[in-house]
Parts: sequence; C-alpha cells; structure tokens
Amino acid sequence: MMIFLSYLCIGVGLVFWFWGTSYLVGQRSVLYKLHSLSVSDTLGSMSILFGLLLRRPREWPLLILALICLAMWNTMLGYVLAYCTARDANDHKITTSAVPGEFYE
Amino acid sequence: MIGHLILRLTIWFLLTANFTLTNIVIGVAIALILPRNVAAPESVKDLLRVLWKIALAIPIAFIEAFEMLFRPHRYEDIIIERVEAKRSPRLIFLDVFLITFTPKTIVLKYHQEGWYEVHRVVRRKPLQQASTREETP
Repeated sequence: MMIFLSYLCIGVGLVFWFWGTSYLVGQRSVLYKLHSLSVSDTLGSMSILFGLLLRRPREWPLLILALICLAMWNTMLGYVLAYCTARDANDHKITTSAVPGEFYE
Repeated sequence: MIGHLILRLTIWFLLTANFTLTNIVIGVAIALILPRNVAAPESVKDLLRVLWKIALAIPIAFIEAFEMLFRPHRYEDIIIERVEAKRSPRLIFLDVFLITFTPKTIVLKYHQEGWYEVHRVVRRKPLQQASTREETP
C-alpha cells in the first residue's frame, strides 16, 4: 500500500514537473509562466519528496527539512521573480478590490 | 524570543537528527548565539491563525494545481487585496507566502499603504475586459 502511494505521489510530481515546464516555452507573459512554474517546481517537487518520504521513513528529518525548504524558497523566489517583473505587469490594470482572505473562502 | 528559539532548534534537530545531550547543548548554544532582528511582536493568536492557514493552504494548492491541469486558466488579471490591520512584518511575510504558495495567485508587490498587488490566473474572462490579457494564439 505504502509503495503504491509513494509511486502515486512520485508519478503526480513528475506529471506536474512536465506539465508546468511545458508552459515555459510558450508565448505568455513571465507572470503567467510563474503560475505553472510554481505547480511544477514547488508542488511537483514536494509531491516527489513526499513519495520518497513514504519509501524511506527512516530519513524523515532530512526529507521534512527538504520539504520545508522547498516550499519556503520556491515560493519566495516566485515572489521575487514576480516583483522583478512588476514593471512589465504595469501593462495590466487593477480590476477588482478584494477583502483579506477572499481567495480562500 | 521563545518563538525564535523553537524555530532554530527545530531546524537544528531536523538537520542533525540527533538527540544526544551534547547535540542538544550545541543546538541551544547556536540558537542563542545567532543574531535576531528586532521586529514588532505579534500576538500568538495571530501567528497560530496564519500557521493554520498555511497548513490548510497545502491541500488547497494541490487542488488548484489539478484545476489548472484539467481546466486551463487562460486569462490573467491583477487584483488588490487589503492587508489586515496591525500586521507585523513577520505576519506580512507569512501572508505573502500564503498567497504565493497557491499556484493561482502570486503577490506582485506589498504596498506600505496596506495592500497587496496580487496577480492571478482565471478560467473565464473577468467582467472588465480591458484589464486582462488573453492567451496569444
């Protein structure tokens, strides 16, 4: 069961990797590509690491640390890249006013 | 102070995976010696609430990823999200992390006036058509 789950997680991670990376060669804006990149880089890699965690539970401290580092660094680097392309993003216009936490309701 | 210590010791024990007395002493010493920034303290309740939101954001992020995978989100726009009142820099960092972690939304910029500029991808063209970019053919 554990082996099946670990392969499932690794498989999902690989699908995320290839799907997200495929958008990088498209014609869309950098910001648009960052969304699919966060699927492949962050979530795909986290899924693969979780699959490894199921296979090698003895190595949990390093794998948990790797998961935390991956989530933290990839997300914040995504923010930094988005910030750096903010000038380009000024071509957009602000559309909606949202209240805090609106996305998660 | 206690929060810093717990965070540093957690990272130390995850790195070393060793609970011998010597390692604990070294870990505590390093956690105390490392410099820390002087930031406005936030209430434990606020911190726990954000950490709970981050825990919830993990399954939400995967659900959003599958949505993007199976139902293409072709449109993009920028919205403004207001920062909750009296947020410390640490909580603002966690807010930015929380929004950016979910794949449909990325914080572009945090404005000191109290709002986040958030870029998002959506399935349908938003009502204000002039504000969005369509997929190039």
